[in-house]
Amino acid sequence: MSDFLRREHPAEYFGPRIRIAVAIIVFCMGIFLVKLWYLQLIEGESYDEMSRNNRVRSVRLPASRGKILDCNGRVLAENSPSFTFSIIPGELENVQDVLERCSSTLGIPQEKMRGLIERSRAVPRFMSYPIKKNISLEEVSLIKSRSTDLKGVLLEIKPLRLYPLGETLCHVLGTMGEVSADELPKAAKLGYRTGDVLGKTGIEKEYDTYLRGEEGWEEIEIDAKGRQLATYSRNLPRAGADVVLTVDADLQKYSEEVFMHRAGSIVAVDPDSGRILAMVSKPGFDLNLFSPSITDRQWKRLTNDPLHPLENRSTRGLYSPASAFKIVTATAALAEKVVTPDQKFNCAGKLELAGQSFRCWNHNGHGAVSLRRAIVESCDIYFYELGRLLGADRIAKYAALFGLGKPTGLGLPHELPGLVPSPVWKSRNYGDSWKDGETLNLAIGQGYLVATPIQLAMMTAAVANGGKLLKPAIVRRVESPEKGVVFDHEPVVRWTIPLDPGVLDSLRSAMTAVVSESKGTGRRARVPGINIAAKTGTSQVIRDNQMIKESEQIPYHERTHAIFVAYVDDRPRKIALVVIVEHGGGGGMSAGPVARKILARYYGLPDRGGL
Amino acid sequence: MDFLPLKSGLPNRTAFEWPTIMLSIVLSGVGLCLIYSATAPLGEAGRLYVIRQMTWCTLGLVLTAVLLVFDYELLDHWAVRLYLVIIVALIAVWATGKVTAGSKRWIQMGLMRFQPSEFAKLAVIIILAKYLQAVPGNPSRELIDLFRPILLAVLPAILVLLQPDLGTACIILLVAVSMIIFAGVERRFLLWGVIIIILLIPTVLLLGDHFLMAYQKRRFFSFLNPAYDPMGSGYHLLQSQIAIGSGGFFGKGFLQGTQNQLMFLPVKHTDFVFSILAEEWGFMGCAVVLGLFSILFLRGMSIAGKARDNFGTLLAFGCTASFFWHVTVNVGMVMGLLPVVGVPLSFLSYGGSALISSFLAVSILANVAMRRLAY
Repeated sequence: MSDFLRREHPAEYFGPRIRIAVAIIVFCMGIFLVKLWYLQLIEGESYDEMSRNNRVRSVRLPASRGKILDCNGRVLAENSPSFTFSIIPGELENVQDVLERCSSTLGIPQEKMRGLIERSRAVPRFMSYPIKKNISLEEVSLIKSRSTDLKGVLLEIKPLRLYPLGETLCHVLGTMGEVSADELPKAAKLGYRTGDVLGKTGIEKEYDTYLRGEEGWEEIEIDAKGRQLATYSRNLPRAGADVVLTVDADLQKYSEEVFMHRAGSIVAVDPDSGRILAMVSKPGFDLNLFSPSITDRQWKRLTNDPLHPLENRSTRGLYSPASAFKIVTATAALAEKVVTPDQKFNCAGKLELAGQSFRCWNHNGHGAVSLRRAIVESCDIYFYELGRLLGADRIAKYAALFGLGKPTGLGLPHELPGLVPSPVWKSRNYGDSWKDGETLNLAIGQGYLVATPIQLAMMTAAVANGGKLLKPAIVRRVESPEKGVVFDHEPVVRWTIPLDPGVLDSLRSAMTAVVSESKGTGRRARVPGINIAAKTGTSQVIRDNQMIKESEQIPYHERTHAIFVAYVDDRPRKIALVVIVEHGGGGGMSAGPVARKILARYYGLPDRGGL
Repeated sequence: MDFLPLKSGLPNRTAFEWPTIMLSIVLSGVGLCLIYSATAPLGEAGRLYVIRQMTWCTLGLVLTAVLLVFDYELLDHWAVRLYLVIIVALIAVWATGKVTAGSKRWIQMGLMRFQPSEFAKLAVIIILAKYLQAVPGNPSRELIDLFRPILLAVLPAILVLLQPDLGTACIILLVAVSMIIFAGVERRFLLWGVIIIILLIPTVLLLGDHFLMAYQKRRFFSFLNPAYDPMGSGYHLLQSQIAIGSGGFFGKGFLQGTQNQLMFLPVKHTDFVFSILAEEWGFMGCAVVLGLFSILFLRGMSIAGKARDNFGTLLAFGCTASFFWHVTVNVGMVMGLLPVVGVPLSFLSYGGSALISSFLAVSILANVAMRRLAY
């Protein structure tokens, strides 16, 4: 195509056009040179002076962090203002002067402060770099009075996280801390910088993106003395959203007070919605220790404590459910039609299998036992028989149906899944075959089987609500000041346990008798006026005949865990409750009274002391 | 299909086109110094920008060298295909794209980020050169004939505008109009065109002023220019002028610009590089750089004049016009003579795609220059 249109004398046609274009080019460049001449040479001096006098400082406007509230609006975590002494590296002129005037007021040795200032070289030179946080009002006034003319020095107001209830709900609320070096790459993408504080555990961590809001910034003009002259532009921060928990702070506090033992966990949940009413893990710690930041000594004290107060036992404590698991075995046996509620087995105190002796806690034996009595008096032999009839696989299947072996999905960090053993599992992990005796242990909730208190709570809730395994929830609502309700909890049914109607009836009636009958293992949890259904458990910690020794003679770490699971469902406000007292001894004896007090409180009834 | 027409290989009868290539290298070098200075306040992180710019620079030069082997007639064959590829890429960016500073301009391809709008400029130049080469001698009689080339430019311009990127869209339209007028328009069309544009501006402004509320106007402007807050742009401008003015005759010296080192102008290493040049190198520095650009423009026009065919002339003119409008709009904006739009300064601003596309334009110029006797 270009052959066609090649012209003979190109210059003729385009020549004049090119000349016009060149003229335009020269004209434009000329205009620029003229304007430059004007700006730089004629007005140059005044601009130079302006540049010397005016400095623009970019100030971060922190967003106010959202509050954490209980289900009634009571404040669990909030902010209070604090002052931080910072420097702006690019504006610092006389470092020695700053050191001399400020280091003693702040209580930092000069060398240490010099080192801090040195470290500020790594960050952008026009951004503030914190030197000392949470300085007292006295320090603020001293600094202000002595160093107004110091260049490069800045007092910033930063919010401090405050936990009005101290230790209450400490594990769930979680702690905050400075961004660590490993967290920084990911956090930087979200806008965090060195020295920023973010949630490290619990709700503060899980819901950090909601709570932190969005920081703003403003560019202010300051004169040579650092005084603010004008604001050039401002991008207002967006306050963080408030997180409303499902927990009732009143019930939570009461439960914590009433739990007078050294260690353990309490989980109370609404069986219809899965909302957690209280979650206690003992021992706990005062959240305010971490604000603004925990001292080395306190940190060492917490981490070296043999009882591990920083761990949330409700989601990470692994316990063999012991007799509380008989709920699952019974359901499995009834659902698989392996036994009827009236069928009786004979308990003689022990059972021989493959040369091993399996005992019932009652060495004399219960005699002829049907389902009801086996639950009420927690007969082991009855359940050994059920175990033999069911086989380990079927027990494991129902354990999984009740939610054991997998995390509940509560949404708190690092929840443990527990373990439901099975023949397949054993050969895969131990290369060994499953022994029949292990089925018997599994049937009474011992052996390799472990669960967390929250799993046991959801299991109990499933019995309470007729067979629905719910997903627990700790957050009820998230409300952003701008956008309104950002999250509203709706109950989530993970699945419905496939059971014929009526299967659970005999079990439930037996569980009520656990508390109401005189021989029931849960009689110490009796509260006149409410029908409590429960199951006790005494979880063996070491393999041996503990029943022989007196419990006081056994060293603490070898004592059994006391387990108590219960529910109330014949009232408009229902509840499912799990109490575990670590090394507490007997389930009914130690954990039962705690449950009684909590249930009495929840229903507004006086605690008469059970029995 | 003959992929490599017979006329490939370096032409041996014409001298190598040194001026254009040297200018591109020198200007890139100046850019590197300015970017180094602009990012110095960021400390360690600043080095990354300089290293990246150097990498793109090298890539650009290599591409230029490689492309010189091929006769630019290839562009005539591939014009339509290139154009369609760019349109598809622009649609892809609009549809998916990675959000940066509120606008979607990038596609992530593995480790590289690719900004199609920069290459859209070249695609428009190439396809217009192809279309308009028939015009000399047959000026458009009908209005409809003008529509087609305008449409060719408007389509990518609108796609670019949607990203939103007002600056690049403007450049595309300016270059297209320049090329169309340069190729030849009936005088009456030209007159009508100018009258319509002059009449349109106040009408549009009046209507906008009347019917839009303050926040809508603000939103409209920030929709077009998300990176520039209209409330803050007055401030940016003032700071830029202070930077420029305080440079004086000789400038404050390398890395000594106080406005530069202490300020927080978010885009100073991209769109506002010229103010760094002015502050640190003064009037001398500005005059030298503007001088270098002028030599580039004049050289480009000379290449256009000596090309062997219309296609070559229009290509060379288009590339020169692209450089010219970039420089004019950017420097004008930085100095407060033109409204603030996001247009980078060729070779000097930080930005891989822009730099590569500038080098490609240079390679086209060199190509046209070196083949003017190769028939």
